[in-house]
Amino acid sequence: MALLRVENLHVRFKTPFGALRALRGIDFDLARGDILGLVGETGCGKSVTGRSVMRLLDENAAVTGGRIFFEDADLLRLTEGEMHKIRGNRIAMIFQDPATALNPLFTIGQQIDDVQRTHRAGSTRDRRRARLELMASVGLPDAAQMADVYPHQLSGGQQQRAMIALSLAAEPDVIIADEPTTALDVTIQAQILDLLRRLQRERSISVVLITHDLGIVAETCQKVVVLYAGRVVEKGTVEAIFADPQHPYTRGLLAALPRPGSRGTDLKVIPGNVPSGLEAIDGCAFAPRCEFVMERCQRQLPPLMSLAAEHQAACLLHEAAVHG
Amino acid sequence: MAEPLLTVRDLSMTYVRRFGLFGRGAQPIRALNEVSFEINAGETLGIVGESGCGKSTLARCLLRLLRPSAGSILFDSMDLLALSDDEMRLMRQRMQILLQNPYSSLNPRMNGFDLVAEPLRAHAAMSRKEMSERVASLLVEVGLTVDFMSRHPHQLSGGQAQRIALARALALNPAFVILDEPTSALDVSVQAQIINLLIRLQRQRGLTYLFITHDLSVIQHISDRVAVMYLGKIVEETSSEEVFRDPQHPYTQALLSSTPTPDPTSDRQRIILPGTVPSAANPPAGCAFHPRCAHVMDRCRRVVPAQRNTKADHRVSCHLYDSAQ
Ligand SMILES: Nc1ncnc2c1ncn2[C@@H]1O[C@H](COP(=O)(O)OP(=O)(O)OP(=O)(O)O)[C@@H](O)[C@H]1O
Ligand code: SF4
Ligand SMILES: [Mg+2]
Repeated sequence: MALLRVENLHVRFKTPFGALRALRGIDFDLARGDILGLVGETGCGKSVTGRSVMRLLDENAAVTGGRIFFEDADLLRLTEGEMHKIRGNRIAMIFQDPATALNPLFTIGQQIDDVQRTHRAGSTRDRRRARLELMASVGLPDAAQMADVYPHQLSGGQQQRAMIALSLAAEPDVIIADEPTTALDVTIQAQILDLLRRLQRERSISVVLITHDLGIVAETCQKVVVLYAGRVVEKGTVEAIFADPQHPYTRGLLAALPRPGSRGTDLKVIPGNVPSGLEAIDGCAFAPRCEFVMERCQRQLPPLMSLAAEHQAACLLHEAAVHG
Repeated sequence: MAEPLLTVRDLSMTYVRRFGLFGRGAQPIRALNEVSFEINAGETLGIVGESGCGKSTLARCLLRLLRPSAGSILFDSMDLLALSDDEMRLMRQRMQILLQNPYSSLNPRMNGFDLVAEPLRAHAAMSRKEMSERVASLLVEVGLTVDFMSRHPHQLSGGQAQRIALARALALNPAFVILDEPTSALDVSVQAQIINLLIRLQRQRGLTYLFITHDLSVIQHISDRVAVMYLGKIVEETSSEEVFRDPQHPYTQALLSSTPTPDPTSDRQRIILPGTVPSAANPPAGCAFHPRCAHVMDRCRRVVPAQRNTKADHRVSCHLYDSAQ
């Protein structure tokens, strides 16, 4: 059974230009111990999906449909008090910019202790030992010393580690990591991704890894969910998605990447731009940019269709193959 | 034989950070440390490195927006550091820069026409009609349509804004363009459009590029040559094919192996570097990379490695290659 299951999630924002449909039916399952990559281009709804699970959406947002199950609980139906016990404790979130998520007024040690105190019992000395172990395990050197520094005294990579330590302090089952390495240099990014993989292996933590980088997905995740304009267009195992992408958008994204040997050739481009979410979309949101577009793509919303045991795509090209 | 359009020799740049009461204390920060390279006319040199390695300081020194502390810059056989300010202003028509965030370089109150026409107004005497023909042809050249003349920056997507910035940069027919992370803020599908455009423009106009990025897959696609920078120094320099085929500096090797590749079946061994890039205000002695290097030897901690040719066209600064020529 899935640890976390998102079903047909719809989210809208009120904006001065009208209703913005940010999520238009998101479906995915996160299995225990998996790292699931949520990928797609700017504005496709990755962060909104993550924040919906945490119930940390902005005030102008409304969930207009769908359900989010964590174990047996429907998160969207919990009271704020019940949700508070899950947030941080069972499901934690880490962000692209750790500087904004860490409290500048308290040392790293104080902040971790705060989480420990609310989430776990134990003496001051036990907590201190657990805290130093935790900081060492996320690769903060000289943990004892680091515990006494303030966030601004740390480098970007160290802040991200501190943020991860903070989110682990309550021993959550799920971490939602929203672009945790986008602001970091590649060699530091490699350290943080390695840390996430180790946490998954050693603590069987499940991770939703939000990123726009397909390379990161290929190297870090077991499952992939590709979003386009607030909908899932394709999902499956990393092997299936990278070896045999079936949605024209996924194919386009993979073909657009420069690779060894691509020198001297034109990169494949996806013409046009992503829709803004303000306009109503009847059929396939990708239709205006799709090289295979058919007449019915304009009218009919493509549902996710199963192509293999763990591979689904939402494209009408597959309709005949599945139903015929 | 292609001729170098740009020759940079031993370029150093030291910032002085003042601190203390009335700025009495002064701390030198060596942002560039004896950087040398050439770029042949019509070719692309890729500069790779992480934040703080001096890439953008280098760009600003080349345009003389910053005065380097030492070294020389020859552009088309002219010594840029010897030019008067007026001469340099003229020279800048031939040297342009495209930045990562196009919105920051586009005045939000100007429309597409004014943005592209502005450099023409400043430098070229043209009738109104000539001007609008020129702007129209530049817009088409960067893949936009003439109706973008009336659009303001906030009405543009990231890719469109980058195209306007490019049209502006090309307005005075430069020979040399510095591209400072021009696609880092763009989505993959838009990045591909801009990269294709840059390569096409280079071919059509015979442009010479200095392409600054941290993304090795982009470098591999667009550059003829690659220079890898670490803490203000070029640690390795060779052709683009060679650097990917046979990276020699331990830092280059780690960079290559840290770059995620979109292939879940590749089981290459990752080199995970410990620690972070040290501050240029307080660089480690000897080889600046030694605290993070897996191959560190005793002399690495004491002696700055000299640059050596390990092959005819492959230069490395690392004690592992001390026996090479
Ligand atoms: N507070 C808000 N008010 C109005 N619209 C919003 C708000 N937050 C997000 N949106 C919109 O919701 C859509 C989805 O946004 P989201 O932040 O989830 O994208 P994303 O996939 O995370 O993109 P990125 O890669 O840029 O982080 C976008 O159209 C965005 O503009
Ligand atoms: S449904 Fe139609 S428009 Fe959409 S991706 Fe498939 S073929 Fe293209
Ligand atoms: Mg986001």
